[in-house]
Amino acid sequence: MVNLSFRQTLSLSVVAGCLALTACGGAAVPRDQMTQAEAAVKGAEVGGANDEPKAALHLKLAREELNKAQNMINDGENEDAARMVARAQADADLALALAKQARARKDTAEAKEQIDQIKENIIK
Amino acid sequence: MIRLSLPLPAVSLFLAVGCGTALPPPELVQARSTYDRASHGPAQELAPAELDTAKQALARAEAAFEDDGAGSRSRDLAYIADRKALLAEAQAGVVQAERERQATDKDFRKTQISSLAKTKEQLEEERRASEQGKKELEAERKARAEAEKKAAAAMASLAEIAKVKEESRGVVITLSGAVLFATGKYELLPIAAQKLDEVAKALKDQGFKNIIVEGHTDSRGNASANDVLSQRRAESVRTHLVSRGIPSDKIQAKGLGSVRPVADNATAEGRANNRRVEIVVEPDK
Repeated sequence: MVNLSFRQTLSLSVVAGCLALTACGGAAVPRDQMTQAEAAVKGAEVGGANDEPKAALHLKLAREELNKAQNMINDGENEDAARMVARAQADADLALALAKQARARKDTAEAKEQIDQIKENIIK
Repeated sequence: MIRLSLPLPAVSLFLAVGCGTALPPPELVQARSTYDRASHGPAQELAPAELDTAKQALARAEAAFEDDGAGSRSRDLAYIADRKALLAEAQAGVVQAERERQATDKDFRKTQISSLAKTKEQLEEERRASEQGKKELEAERKARAEAEKKAAAAMASLAEIAKVKEESRGVVITLSGAVLFATGKYELLPIAAQKLDEVAKALKDQGFKNIIVEGHTDSRGNASANDVLSQRRAESVRTHLVSRGIPSDKIQAKGLGSVRPVADNATAEGRANNRRVEIVVEPDK
């Protein structure tokens, strides 16, 4: 261990404090992420997320998270806002995936039903 | 930077204490469990890329938790990791459904082809059946034409030895009594037997339901004696025809005496015409 003088210690804390301040206050507004997440929400809506309950839940969460993120940006909490936007992005992506899954399953079930009917007709 | 490195051991000591005591936030617990389920499910096979993304997201959340405990950073990262794991599962569901769909489509095409083949086979069978039916009809038509021709020929040959008329009761073959019997007798004359053989031959070529042999006399003499004689003569003819192959249950004999003259009994010629045997052939249909 190296012994530090009071002066050295003080200057260290100032440097650290400065670094911390830069990190917090200096974070940029997550504009691009916000735009992307908004697009993902739109995409999920178009993809039919409103028609599938689980997907609709995550779509709703994504919208709420976008609102929260916007409020955080308004309060200057850009770093928190960026993480909240990332949540929104994850929820929107999930909503779209769930909608796709539901649609694929529905299509498959319909196709199966059709083929069963056709087979039945042929056997008759 | 050099200065900064100096107090690090103290800082890391503080952090280590923080980590060791902090419980993982509920988001991280949830993310771990979701990822565990996803990585052991069909996503492993069907959505490996998405699963790997989820794995990395979870690792970032774990690292954040290790670095600064259950803060909002680790909670947000865990929340995101949970969504990524769920997304991997959903993607696996999409791929699964699409594979099933493809199998169904394949099945559909196979079914379609086999059904088409079946239909073709059915049509072919129907065509063959109708061809067969046509052939049968044709054969039947030919056979009928043949039979009619034969019957007509038989009738024509019969016309040479007897009078043949078509009446409402059927075809009437009239044989002169003089040719068949001696006066007052009912035994067939030898020449009559020969003629009746030809009649039998002609009759066998006809389609018929019943044959009635009628004996007729002229009006001279005792009526009841005439009845008896005509009956016996009819029976003689019937017996002969049966002996030549006409089915006995289809032929009957009737003695009608003089009640049905066909000519004037006042003249010798008329009387000769009235002495006769009529063979009535009732048509088949």
